[in-house]
Amino acid sequence: MQDVVNQVINTTFGWNWPSWSIALIGYLIVAAILFLIAPFQMLFLTLYERRAIARMQDRVGPNRVGPEGMWQPLADGVKIFTKEDIVPDAADHWVHFIAPCVVVAPTMFMFAVIPWGPGMVPVDMNVGLLFFFAISSVSAVGLMMAGWASSNKFALIGAMRAVAQMVSYEIPAVLSLLALVLITGSLSVVDLIRYQDGLIISSADLASVPHWGLGWFIFTPVGFLAFVAFFIAALAEGERTPFDIPEADSEIVAGYMTEYSGMKFGLFYLAQYVLNFLLCAITAIIFFGGWQGPGVSWLYEMAITPANPQGGWVFNVLAGVLGVFYFMAKTYFFFFVMVWIRGAFARLRIDQLMDFGWKFLIPLSLVNVISAAIWVALTTWGATDGLAFVEGWSPLVRWAAAFVVTLAINVGAYLYLARIFAQSQAERERMDDEVLESLVNVV
Amino acid sequence: MDLLLQIIFGMLSALIIGAAMMVVTVRNVIHAALWLIATFFGVAALYLTLEAEFIAVVQVLVYVGAISILVLFAIMLTRSSEGERLLTKHWWAAALISLGLFGAVLLPTLIGHAWSIPLPVGPAGTPEPLAGVPELGRGFVNEFLIQFEVAGVLLTVALIGAIVIAFEERSRRRRVLTLSEEHILRQRQQATAAAEQVTVGAADAAD
Repeated sequence: MQDVVNQVINTTFGWNWPSWSIALIGYLIVAAILFLIAPFQMLFLTLYERRAIARMQDRVGPNRVGPEGMWQPLADGVKIFTKEDIVPDAADHWVHFIAPCVVVAPTMFMFAVIPWGPGMVPVDMNVGLLFFFAISSVSAVGLMMAGWASSNKFALIGAMRAVAQMVSYEIPAVLSLLALVLITGSLSVVDLIRYQDGLIISSADLASVPHWGLGWFIFTPVGFLAFVAFFIAALAEGERTPFDIPEADSEIVAGYMTEYSGMKFGLFYLAQYVLNFLLCAITAIIFFGGWQGPGVSWLYEMAITPANPQGGWVFNVLAGVLGVFYFMAKTYFFFFVMVWIRGAFARLRIDQLMDFGWKFLIPLSLVNVISAAIWVALTTWGATDGLAFVEGWSPLVRWAAAFVVTLAINVGAYLYLARIFAQSQAERERMDDEVLESLVNVV
Repeated sequence: MDLLLQIIFGMLSALIIGAAMMVVTVRNVIHAALWLIATFFGVAALYLTLEAEFIAVVQVLVYVGAISILVLFAIMLTRSSEGERLLTKHWWAAALISLGLFGAVLLPTLIGHAWSIPLPVGPAGTPEPLAGVPELGRGFVNEFLIQFEVAGVLLTVALIGAIVIAFEERSRRRRVLTLSEEHILRQRQQATAAAEQVTVGAADAAD
């Protein structure tokens, strides 16, 4: 963006503005575009979810406003804007007022490191992945503020549940990412996508693989297990069913949002949908190659890039459009999976949620980190790292050995942990029954 | 670029100092905790202006995302937050100690430091990263291995201690029945009551 702004201002108009103003203008334009994209995504996703869930429940869903209910989100927006803003007398007014902003702001920040297409990333931070998750944990503070400032029991319980859930499911999410960071050796989101080039096998593991943009992590045992753990954790972090206990309508009204009305409620809603969109996007980026797909890198090689200034701008546009298409298709597919899960599963109880997170997902992703280390050792290490016996193998054999070993470890760990977890749950149920029996016998 | 950085630095320092002042002056403990979070965030942004991205992100992850949540939980769960300003009778002793520490430690440093104004020009080219992720990781497993391991063991001990405390609590506490369990319980009670009726009736008939 900055080179384009520089071209327009300093070369075309010849104004010779200093570099800092060019940087400022470039970032401001990017930020403005992102701030426009986020609410429109949310508007579209609400309609998408309502129509999809209606179809699953054998209903029609909103179809009155415009063709196929297309303007329904706009109507909802107008309604929310015109509602009266009610603040409870006992509420802490300032904290009550700021809380929705603290919840929304981090979700907007998270857009900063999302690459939309080849060369289309707002900021290529070298710790982008960590930035994404660090910033997402800030909204927990906002939830806590909302719950406390409302001075309402339901709101406080909802906030406590939300924060407990976010804090405990952040651990498996970050641990499953750690496995992939071990493999790529970089925390940058752009590097992560670049690594997933190739055809089923990543071209970084095996240089002779064609650049078809299909070397996604999901095709490796480490990546697959990490994907399962991460997607479950993402469901919990986005407060989607079956992990929607913080706002379980049938138990605690609307959780931390209980005392909010009008546009403040709308902001919580916005934050939630934008967060869900971002979680789907990051899942697509980390495990399904983001904008990688057949044809993108071929087009991008002929485009104007720092490496190839002689390229044609048509290829920039084509590569961008194709990349964004692949990226959005994957993202919307994952959002559909979220809606699908909401249509298929009932809400978990809080103890089931905690048990599943701490006793099953975290050990599983810890084992996955170990298999990622084995993967790295078998595919890239040599005699200098103290692993002389793989030195003579061909790259394909090394890749196959790593695949088989990590697959064996991961499947074994999954079966073992699943058995232990089932046993502990059965034991717990037996104890519950005993409590019931003793109560019956006393009466 | 320098002017822009200067402006950003000035705004950030104002935010940090202002928020830190609010932490110690507001009456409400929750408000103080929230101002403390604002301070943490400002410090993270300051690290970003120094191009120490990893440290900045970790500051947000650890302080804003975890420690401040712990602080909020602790305040909310342990005591009522509204209250009088807690001023002990011996406040002058505390003031004396802090003044003494300031005079003994900070003042000589401030006076003795060679303030480089105007800013010296550094060597040309991109400087070496001071606190990148690979450097920190290598430091942890080579140079500072003992410290790293000791900290890890300490945290594990704390975790085990927390689990032990939680288990003791749980054994003392009676479990709260869910609605469905209460329903089952009531059904069973009715069933046993009906069965008793039947046996009583049978005994009457036998008489």
